[in-house]
Amino acid sequence: MQRRDFLKSLGVGAASAVVIPSMSFAAEAPKPRGKNALAYNDALGVATGGKKAEVSAKVKLKVPEIAENGAVVPVTVEVEHPMSESDYVKAIHVYATKNANSRCIGVHLSPANGEAMFATRIKLGETQEVVAVAELSNGTFLMASQSVKVTIGGCG
Amino acid sequence: MRKIAKIALCFTLFASLSYASEQFAMSDADRAMYEELLENNPADMMLASGGNLLEELGGDAAVAKFLGVKEDALAAYLAGFPRYLEKFGRVVSIDQMLQGMMHESGKKPYALKSNEMFNMSSYVKSLANEQPINIDINANEHMKKAYAFGKEVFDTKRGARGLSCYSCHNPSVIGTILRTQPLPDISAKGNASAATWPAYRMTKSNLATLQKRFQGCMENALLAVIPLGSPEMTALEVYFTHEAKGATIALPGLKR
Amino acid sequence: MAESKSLIKIKPNSYKSGDIVKVSFMVMHPMETGLRKDKKTGETIPEEYINSVKFEYNGKVITTMNVWETLSVNPVFTINMKVDGAGELKVTYTDNTGKVEETTEKIKPKG
Ligand code: HEC
Repeated sequence: MQRRDFLKSLGVGAASAVVIPSMSFAAEAPKPRGKNALAYNDALGVATGGKKAEVSAKVKLKVPEIAENGAVVPVTVEVEHPMSESDYVKAIHVYATKNANSRCIGVHLSPANGEAMFATRIKLGETQEVVAVAELSNGTFLMASQSVKVTIGGCG
Repeated sequence: MRKIAKIALCFTLFASLSYASEQFAMSDADRAMYEELLENNPADMMLASGGNLLEELGGDAAVAKFLGVKEDALAAYLAGFPRYLEKFGRVVSIDQMLQGMMHESGKKPYALKSNEMFNMSSYVKSLANEQPINIDINANEHMKKAYAFGKEVFDTKRGARGLSCYSCHNPSVIGTILRTQPLPDISAKGNASAATWPAYRMTKSNLATLQKRFQGCMENALLAVIPLGSPEMTALEVYFTHEAKGATIALPGLKR
Repeated sequence: MAESKSLIKIKPNSYKSGDIVKVSFMVMHPMETGLRKDKKTGETIPEEYINSVKFEYNGKVITTMNVWETLSVNPVFTINMKVDGAGELKVTYTDNTGKVEETTEKIKPKG
């Protein structure tokens, strides 16, 4: 019958199994550098104007410990700090410390946000630390970091 | 209401991950993070775009009219696809049904593999959200045959490695890790694949239908790729849909 | 055009003036890093990424973002917003190729 022929033409009963087949995942390659490449320490320096960012429990960084897919890694940052006209969180910066361009985003907030929160999804090329830096309206910087284990790179 | 469907979906999505070895096991907090992803599924945009395309063809009402069902019965009717349709003289999936509808109204049908068709057919299937899959493989001879044929395609070993879909999708291998990925349970007890596709694929950053997903496995397992909409593909969809019968449709899904 | 390439979602669905709601802006964008090669031609795919996003509520800028190519394809940007009367939320994004696009959503507090 016609449909049997179709299956046959696709090689029914052809060569028997060899090894467990590999799914087509990109192999690890040397890290390519783009125009925007900027190492984490330099990027942080630019954002803080050289000031020190204190590690603080007020900065709640939520990223998965294990990312099943480096191309889509959810990141949420919340800063426990007032959002009043005179005292508020001015900005939240997110860095992926080992990406060639370590900068992911800089979010400039205002009291109209009500609460300092930001969420997005980032690409991580490999296992690394993700860092969130909060800039307060009084000019101080707070930060938090967490390591994310990437099982499959995001650049494939 | 949609919310409930989504929670169920999270559960099926992450249930498959919990089979993984400790090396890849996610913590509850990790799972919660991924659940948040589902709240803002990029595929929502694609379905919205599909809805707009359908609007140009007369919207949901036009689909109901084409299928000869009342509008309030449309959702449950769509939850039974693929179906044998008199007009086509064969078993068809939603995308082919839409091609027929476009043709009948004098429009040039979108190709099955076009983004327009992925978006529009996914939107139409999402009208059945919250309905249980109610495919009836005993409805008529055609459905019976399609199911049997789908099972045959599923079980047939082919390709350079002599694999069948069954080789990787059978109860005894579910949860086994294949190159970092746990083999998913496609039945209503697990992923209920037919109820969670079309889905956004994070590795591909696009919306894919069930048939498109089948093609992905065919490529990866070195089986020659069967064309979308062919009798083999439709039969395979019938088989998968029957496997997930009773599961609540929750679209669009979100997959690795 | 039938294309709908971006979406603003507000949660919860129903809110009052004075509430803090979650606003998500989703957009279909390739977020090309300029480092990927076309699998067929072997040529480098030019960079194409969103570089700024601006949220305006009734004409007032509430949040701006500097964005890099390191965000995921079809990105989502979620912030909080304090509801301050009925009106409109406008989100504008630009990308490195010079594209500018705008999406709006009505803000309708119940009471
Ligand atoms: C070599 C093993 C292998 C073979 C053969 C195989 N698959 Fe798969 N399949 C997988 C793996 C692994 C996944 C999950 C991958 C992932 O998480 O991305 C999967 C996922 C799927 C899914 C998505 C399940 C869900 O609900 O998310 C479908 C549908 C599917 N396969 C259909 C098929 C069909 C149809 C065939 C036969 C043409 C087939 N597969 C053959 C390994 C296989």
